[in-house]
Amino acid sequence: MANILIVDDSRTSRKILRQILEEGGHTVIDEAVNGQEGVQKFQANKPDIVTLDITMPVLDGIEALKMIKAMKSDEKVIMITAAGQKSKMIDCIKLGADDFLTKPFDKSEIISVISKMAAK
Amino acid sequence: MFDQIFGNYLVQTGRISKEQLSKVIEQEREARVKLGLIAVAEKLMSKEQADEVNHLQSLMDKRFGDIAVERGYLTEEQVSQLLKKQGNIYMLFVQTLIDEDAMTLEEVDEALTEYKEEQSFTQSDMDALVSGDIDRTVKLFLPSNSELYDKLCAIAVRTLRRVINSYASVSKAFLVDELNADNFAMQMMVGDHKIISGFAGSGNSLLSIAVPFGEEEFEQVDIDALDAVGEFTNCINGLFATDLCADGLDIDMVPPEFYDHPVVLKGRQFCVFPISIGDDHINFILSVDSDISID
Repeated sequence: MANILIVDDSRTSRKILRQILEEGGHTVIDEAVNGQEGVQKFQANKPDIVTLDITMPVLDGIEALKMIKAMKSDEKVIMITAAGQKSKMIDCIKLGADDFLTKPFDKSEIISVISKMAAK
Repeated sequence: MFDQIFGNYLVQTGRISKEQLSKVIEQEREARVKLGLIAVAEKLMSKEQADEVNHLQSLMDKRFGDIAVERGYLTEEQVSQLLKKQGNIYMLFVQTLIDEDAMTLEEVDEALTEYKEEQSFTQSDMDALVSGDIDRTVKLFLPSNSELYDKLCAIAVRTLRRVINSYASVSKAFLVDELNADNFAMQMMVGDHKIISGFAGSGNSLLSIAVPFGEEEFEQVDIDALDAVGEFTNCINGLFATDLCADGLDIDMVPPEFYDHPVVLKGRQFCVFPISIGDDHINFILSVDSDISID
């Protein structure tokens, strides 16, 4: 089971993701509402896995991914995307993102991706 | 969707009561079986395959049958056989109206002819409506001949009916320079086109999206409820961006914005597409390559 930091500007997405992760037996150690706060909370909480929404105000997911990977290159980061963000997904892969989850969320997909990641 | 549209017309013209329409729709809903369920019952697909296709529908904006064929779960011939078994939804509506003694077949025919004339629809338009084809139906209700309007509005209606309420229906859209709303959730897309889309409501009407999508019993349209509406808009726009991307266009989404207080939307001939979800009436707002300011 993993300690997870959720970074997403949408309260709805944070709430649904938290619910699915906790039902799957994982612990959500903290939440952040933008990339900047996400990077700060990553440093403070040292989570096993970070979920990063791509489209966020202040600092977006791609910039936050860069900063997190610069601080800890082997940190497991899962990017959260809406359909239609293919070019950004490619950028994220180049920057070291470990996997992707697409909105709207599918419970079994989330549990499968996170469990695979936690077992690595 | 024409069952709802025509049903509303029957109520507006005093042919049936609102209660009769609700009862007919309720009966029709009970009688209607989803394509995936029929495919599983006919042992053409496993439940897991049907669940997978249902999930992919929310990501791909394609019909159940099309995805099932693409994945190799069904052949095109099997899909058309399943569609025949499912039956035409409008026909089921008419049958239920008659079974419930709400109208006779002659009265339905007469009302349909009157509706066609009032809306200035051709027989081909009526065939499109009765067939249940969302793309063709939405196009008939939009004021412009812009492909982008047609595409985004069709995706919005399909996603609403798939994710929020399978009985959501539409009225004729119109173009305005100004619109008042009690609350508004919107998202801008940038790139090869600048597109603004979102949902405007009056009173608590936007809860019809916020409650099912946010999986939360919001009591009023506050920022949290609008966040859920914004996320839903984001899903619609994501599907739209995927479509445009396949056409070689580059479109990106910026974070949604919310207004939990009365606003005046001002722009140049932006599109207002009225949508009914149960008893709630909301407006889908759309502007392509033109600004909307919010006061």
